[in-house]
Amino acid sequence: MGHLVLPNSGHNRDPEANKMGMWLFLFTELLLFGGLFIVYFVYRSMNSDAFLHASYELDVIIGTINTVILITSSMTIAMSITALQKGNKKLAMYLLWATQAFALAFLVNKYFEWGIKIEHGIFPGLDHYNHMPSGEKLFFFLYYFMTGLHALHIIVGGIFIGVVMKKVQKGEVTGERISLLENSGLYWHLVDLIWIYLFPLFYLIH
Amino acid sequence: MATAISTEKNFFEIKKGIASWLFTLDHKRIGLMYFYAIISFFLVGVILGLLMRLELIAPGETIVKPTTYNQIFTLHGVIMIFLFIIPSIPAIFGNFFLPIMLGTDDVAFPRLNLLSWWLYVGGAVFALLTLVVGDGPADTGWTFYAPYSVQTGTNVTLSVLAAFILGFSSILTGLNFIVTIHRLRAPGMTFNKMPLFAWSLYATSWIQLLATPIIGITLLMIVAERVFGIGLFDPSIGGDPILYQHLFWIYSHPAVYIMALPAMGIISELIPSFAKRTIFGYKAIAYSSMAIAFVGYFVWGHHMFTSGMSGTARVIFSILTFIVAIPTAVKVFNWVATLYKGSIDVQTPLLYALAFIFQFLIGGLSGLVLAALAADIHVHDTYFVVGHFHYVMFGGTGFAMFGALHYWFPKIWGRMYNKRTANIGFALLTVGFNFLYFPMMILGLMGMPRRYYDYLPRFTDLNVISTVGSWILAIGLIIMLWNLIRAKKTGEKVGRNPWGSISMEWQTKSPPPLENFDKLPELNEGGPYHYKH
Amino acid sequence: MKDDNHPHIVNYKEHFGTWIGLMILTVMTVVVSVTNANLQMLTVLTALTIATTKAVLVAYYYMHLKFDQKIYRIMLWVVMGLFVSFMILTIIDYITR
Repeated sequence: MGHLVLPNSGHNRDPEANKMGMWLFLFTELLLFGGLFIVYFVYRSMNSDAFLHASYELDVIIGTINTVILITSSMTIAMSITALQKGNKKLAMYLLWATQAFALAFLVNKYFEWGIKIEHGIFPGLDHYNHMPSGEKLFFFLYYFMTGLHALHIIVGGIFIGVVMKKVQKGEVTGERISLLENSGLYWHLVDLIWIYLFPLFYLIH
Repeated sequence: MATAISTEKNFFEIKKGIASWLFTLDHKRIGLMYFYAIISFFLVGVILGLLMRLELIAPGETIVKPTTYNQIFTLHGVIMIFLFIIPSIPAIFGNFFLPIMLGTDDVAFPRLNLLSWWLYVGGAVFALLTLVVGDGPADTGWTFYAPYSVQTGTNVTLSVLAAFILGFSSILTGLNFIVTIHRLRAPGMTFNKMPLFAWSLYATSWIQLLATPIIGITLLMIVAERVFGIGLFDPSIGGDPILYQHLFWIYSHPAVYIMALPAMGIISELIPSFAKRTIFGYKAIAYSSMAIAFVGYFVWGHHMFTSGMSGTARVIFSILTFIVAIPTAVKVFNWVATLYKGSIDVQTPLLYALAFIFQFLIGGLSGLVLAALAADIHVHDTYFVVGHFHYVMFGGTGFAMFGALHYWFPKIWGRMYNKRTANIGFALLTVGFNFLYFPMMILGLMGMPRRYYDYLPRFTDLNVISTVGSWILAIGLIIMLWNLIRAKKTGEKVGRNPWGSISMEWQTKSPPPLENFDKLPELNEGGPYHYKH
Repeated sequence: MKDDNHPHIVNYKEHFGTWIGLMILTVMTVVVSVTNANLQMLTVLTALTIATTKAVLVAYYYMHLKFDQKIYRIMLWVVMGLFVSFMILTIIDYITR
């Protein structure tokens, strides 16, 4: 007597609990963007012509390139999990580096895309924007808000993956203790998932 | 891997000092830290409420100016909703008792649990900052309706950020509880053998998890509006203020069930413990919690019947709202049926439970008046609504929380309070409560609008009764708290199970050891509420 | 609590196959949009259908849902159903005004 360890102790390592926690967190992320999608659909139904007109300002080519980049980065991080599970640490690291490179490429693209628009005065408070019809204003506000929030998630995801890479390097995350890498992968796929909807809704409503 | 820790000392004794509390990973200590923080804010909210009642004791200016009054009722709402009643039962008693009732030693993510507490404190600091910086606290009401919230010069941005951070804290607590319930139940405890309090927390956690992000993003939009001035919710630039209300209530109506469901869980624990009888309709109570959580997502529109929604949408929301009454009534019938032919032991916690049923019934039935589209048009935004939700929130959840406090007090602190004094406190609270809020319903039917600083002379009598009620309630509250504080120091020591309950938390010592159990917890044969005579 | 100790390893080929599928769908959605400027309502529906197909591919293969316990799939579909209901209930207000 005097000591007791429960079989269902909360201090045991439980990869399944980690995964479930991550999924639940992803649900909150989905609904966070969900609120914005509701705003988007309501205002689109009220100002469909203005939204259509405003969407011509966006560059489909850049949007498509970014879509391809994100989908490919999703594949590389998924493959890195496979690699680590098979014990190939080196390959896993290369694939994670590739994911990071894609993330950076996405952000660089985004930077130029935003930069050109701001140069043309399309940003809340700038001249061109202030003279737009109200529906187009709403479109661009939502465009900046949603892609901005998404870009923020890319940055957070990149940092998350960076931390995991460090741990893989040190051998703290391995094929047997892969929970953290899997979770960073799940997060990264979510970022991809949201973009899958953002892309057609902003770039492709011709 | 878990390491064995001494079970001789209880969780208070095992480590001492402020840091051992502020950075603890022990769910019991985190629960108690929530308790102290939440009760403090509750008292602040009570004082603000008393000030409002004092202002309203006579028409015209009594103690404060109109602007101050607007700020007082906003702050009262923000504190009571975001800092008191949403976290109250889940964060205090959920944290303390969920793992014990599941027969485990902690929640699934102890660090995340501590983070939730710190976020709560951070959010609270933001809310309090509005008092001292800029033009004072927001004067919008706790709903922050656009476009006024975008135009007013008061500290809306800070208040909104406070609500955002508190929302995050709430989400993480919900996430933690869901995973805990899925992964850490004692061997042999299936979902259908789980305590009903755990069921109600499970339902609550799903609401916290799925509804809160929507208010988070909506509040961020308010901030963006204030910074950039797009006109997102301003009709003159193509926006729609009703859209803000939609988004706000998509969260805030389910949030009502974040407040009510854990309270129902508490009552489902109290009734069988003091009726010493198997609970009637275990599955009906458990599943109705899930049903309430689910249906509760689709009824938000009943807050907007007079806002200018389309007729079709109003009819749909009215019908959906009536549906929520069904699972709620199922619970009430089951509680009453459990009492029938039980060997009832009338103790303070049971009294609170009975008051809950009585007051929640009034609150719930007056809710049906508001759900009926035609009736609502008449009483919308009157004191009838104020009376209704105080009956549900305070008469319901508040009383359930006090009941829980009296029920689990001996388990948490290992001592018993003076039962006679506790009963006196209860009596004053109940009498004061009904004097305070029942007149409001009559005032509402007479046509007195809510949130108004001034009123017609013919409303005076009932307002006086209401204000006097608030004083009686305050005295009851003081007696209750004084009795408990005294008992914590000098109360008679009690053993493991002073109430003779068969719930799992009574199998361990009072107060429990750090890892909760000193012997393997045993599941009760025939379900968690199977009392044998 | 079964399957805890036997993680299913997805091989590289499957990942690449998913990628090919996603690419084809991306090309499809771009082509539909660029060529059919006049079919407003229809393009939205096609775009959303294709996007959802892509999302399911990502969730089931890259996010491993297909090989996880059933509870995760149930949770995801309930959450998505809930969100779609929020959306529909809100939109109903606007289209019937």
